[in-house]
Amino acid sequence: MAEQKSDTELLALFREPASKEKAFTEIVKKYQERLYWHIRRMLVDHEDSNDVMQNVFIRVWNALSGFREDAQLYTWLYRIATNECLTFIEQQKKKASVSLNELESGLSNKIMADKDFNANKLEWKLQLAIQQLPEKQRVVFMLRYYDEMPYDEMSKVLDTSAGALKASYHHAAKKIEDFILNH
Amino acid sequence: METSKEILTELQEIAPNLGITSIARTPYAIPAGFFEGFPESLMNRIHREAAYSESDTGQQSAEASPLLEIEEISPLLAGLKNKSTYQVPTGYFENLKTKIPALESKPLTSKTKQVPVFTLKFVKYAVAACLIALLGTAIFNLTYHKTTDPIKDLVNVSEQDMANYLDSDDIHWTPGIATSSVSIDFSENDVHDLLSTVPDDELEKYSATLPEDKRNVN
Repeated sequence: MAEQKSDTELLALFREPASKEKAFTEIVKKYQERLYWHIRRMLVDHEDSNDVMQNVFIRVWNALSGFREDAQLYTWLYRIATNECLTFIEQQKKKASVSLNELESGLSNKIMADKDFNANKLEWKLQLAIQQLPEKQRVVFMLRYYDEMPYDEMSKVLDTSAGALKASYHHAAKKIEDFILNH
Repeated sequence: METSKEILTELQEIAPNLGITSIARTPYAIPAGFFEGFPESLMNRIHREAAYSESDTGQQSAEASPLLEIEEISPLLAGLKNKSTYQVPTGYFENLKTKIPALESKPLTSKTKQVPVFTLKFVKYAVAACLIALLGTAIFNLTYHKTTDPIKDLVNVSEQDMANYLDSDDIHWTPGIATSSVSIDFSENDVHDLLSTVPDDELEKYSATLPEDKRNVN
């Protein structure tokens, strides 16, 4: 197996017209799984997640030549992915003319409609609990819990202070635990 | 940089029930081979969108040639383009000109003289006329329509003219005015008070002017 190139190397290759596509494919392969799961946990549905992830990488393709390396590539990718997810959720709300509560219950219904859903298993309860959180708190919890993102990196993704993110994560974790214990 | 262990410890402190490693597994399923095929399908979409945007850019030049455009869309329609189903009477277009008399009498190349509705000269005269009318009205009003005070003007009337006017028969008393003057009530005391300041010789002189039946003034 070939050794994975660093972000700096991939960005340098992307700037060369001859190796642009190859470098971009390498970047997609490197980050697709992490971004997919981040998106999927937000949107639940695979088809929606696939559409949003394609949109994320098309944005990346169009903007990568102007990317400044003073930020980390993966932070930038998460930022784009999070914004795309939130935009998608907003569009869904507008399309269906539903309130946020209705949309959240819709996401919970999607979880329960999954063929593998098992209400007795903790991991499924956890997914239902996550959907009860407000959107931004949900993102904070998932970035920390699943992606193990440090607060200073998360601060760049969400444009929020590390202190506020820490408080948000604490609230989210407590709410989720309460939900799991009481359902 | 925080390690996974530190993040897990933090979570166990906040919510011990969530700090179980097995729970952190996301239970959602994904189609088999999704990640293997994703980069290729993404690149296909990028190429497709690039091709669309290129054809959008080229659309402007295609618009300059509608024939090429319709040939691309439908060769059948392009072939039918110049086949007309409607018939025109023979010589219709040749005789069309003679049917419009105005076109017959005047050559088409002659320039039509444009007569403006409002010429500059006309506007000048109109403005001058308005100014003269305004000035004339002002002078007329100042000359003949002075507001005068008739009581003040009586000062200028000579006593002789006043006497002549009073002696003339042109004075017509308004009944209302006459009765209103009669209706003023004077008590006997009032008359005494009024006459107390008049010297006796004046009263005697006045009495002499009165008819005999009205001379008894106490």
